[in-house]
Amino acid sequence: MAISAASPSGRPRGRFWTRAGYMGIYGSAFVSTALVGLILLTLLFQSGPAIFDVGNTLHLTEWNPSENIFGIVPMIVGSLLVMLIALTLAVPTGVLAAIYIAETRSDKIKRVVRSALEILAGIPSIVYGLIGVAYLSLWVADIFNLQTGRLILTAGILLAIMILPTILSLTEDAISNVSDRYKENGRALGLYRHEVITDVILPQAKPDITGAVLLALGRALGETMAVMLVIGSIDRLPDPIYNVLSSGQTITSKLGREVGESAFGSTHFSVLVFMSFILVALSLLLTFLSQTYFKTGRRHV
Amino acid sequence: MSRRVIKDKIFAAVTRLALFLSLGILAFLVLTIAVQGIKAFSLQFFFLPARDFGASGGISYQIIGSLLLVVVAALLVLPFAVGTAIFRSECVKSERLKRGLDMALFCLNSIPSVTYGLFGLILFVNIFNTGISWFVGSIILAIMMLPTVTITSFQAMNSIPDHYRENGFALGLNQIQIIRRIILPQSLHGIVTGILIALARAIGETAPIMFIATAFSGVTVPNSLNEPVATLPTHILALAQQATNPDALQNAWGASFTLIILVMLFSALAYFARLKFKTLAQR
Repeated sequence: MAISAASPSGRPRGRFWTRAGYMGIYGSAFVSTALVGLILLTLLFQSGPAIFDVGNTLHLTEWNPSENIFGIVPMIVGSLLVMLIALTLAVPTGVLAAIYIAETRSDKIKRVVRSALEILAGIPSIVYGLIGVAYLSLWVADIFNLQTGRLILTAGILLAIMILPTILSLTEDAISNVSDRYKENGRALGLYRHEVITDVILPQAKPDITGAVLLALGRALGETMAVMLVIGSIDRLPDPIYNVLSSGQTITSKLGREVGESAFGSTHFSVLVFMSFILVALSLLLTFLSQTYFKTGRRHV
Repeated sequence: MSRRVIKDKIFAAVTRLALFLSLGILAFLVLTIAVQGIKAFSLQFFFLPARDFGASGGISYQIIGSLLLVVVAALLVLPFAVGTAIFRSECVKSERLKRGLDMALFCLNSIPSVTYGLFGLILFVNIFNTGISWFVGSIILAIMMLPTVTITSFQAMNSIPDHYRENGFALGLNQIQIIRRIILPQSLHGIVTGILIALARAIGETAPIMFIATAFSGVTVPNSLNEPVATLPTHILALAQQATNPDALQNAWGASFTLIILVMLFSALAYFARLKFKTLAQR
């Protein structure tokens, strides 16, 4: 839009309000942009002691603040394991359900599912945590005959439930966005319905689905409350490392549990801030990746 | 039957199964929360303060605290979000600056909520030495709401046809007058919808406020800016950690259902705001 800022009115009062208006607009835009830098810089400065004082212990698998050993590997492995479980459960379920919805001709099912997904998206994460504590962890403990159900597996299942709506609705969008021409051509070639879906529609929708999965992964990574309540909060690597039936810790659950307890300015606090910095870096990376996928996806259609 | 027919049948069955599984999980979640929540509901539950560490009594101060936090956050974010949206839609010509601004909002949106809590703890509670304060919680929630409100407002402003602005110029208005008389009234639906959507999200947030704005017991309505409040999400958190006590668990379900009703209320308002204001603007 090319509109010049020159004001035709010469009255002083008018000029004052014009100037105040521009100041307000530019000022608020500046504040909004500067906030990102402020947050990142605050985290960076506070994680200084972690890097310079105990930086040589960060790569260890042991967390023992009383002896100044702050290995953050168990938390990172915990986060990765939980995300992996959530994805393996939620992606197939979400994509298959989305295929069913997109391919069904019944508008009623579509409407029901869409409003259901909106309700699901409105459930706060702390309520998922409560469900995990009151039901899921007890069931898991029963099934595997363990004393406690607060395990890496439980956190993974709970996260899968939480990211299912995201994957389902974005995948459904992606599949519906594939032009009908492709489907019709596939049918005209004599392909069966499942062949049209796996050989024609899914390859077309793949970039968008990948974007959806990455977005969901970013949410799973940053999710705190639900994970914190059901993971058991033990700062040890699972033994063996793929043993998801042991209690663990993720970056977020560690932060949620300990930020309130550690003294500001201590090394312990600084290591927590450093972990949060890693968390932010990873989530930004995942969201940027997902955006690039979404864009190429749109060019296809 | 040929193998392809069988495969087709299996595929159809599997997708149907996946849908039923998803809907089953949803039904379980919603029914559990509603049934368990209603069991806890009573007049006392809504109008009495919590007693015995939440195991008895009600959640009156938690409801007030939650609403106070998010409404003040909405008031704080409103000028900044609208200003940024105007800037993005009316003032910037450089594509590079536009992309930079989008990028900043995008980053704000993808920072995990617990990090906002940590940021508030470092900058406000410790460096500015405010102590645990509900107002700091509102500021942090306002920052989290900023991307949503800005983007929704921007989309509404951006969809105003250019000839509206040109008509304004032809009448001799300057740009600020056009913004005040044309852009703001015509994009009101977007601003209101954005605020309500952001409210619905913010009221359920726990991680950003649990270190900086809330206390679990002994809290009433705050008299000054730097006092803690009690909120529904942190109340649920505290009760969930004593889930072995059936009374506490019962009240946790009640608080959860109340929280979800508030979220739904804001979402429903957002939906109606979009319908109602839009017809007004297009009349």
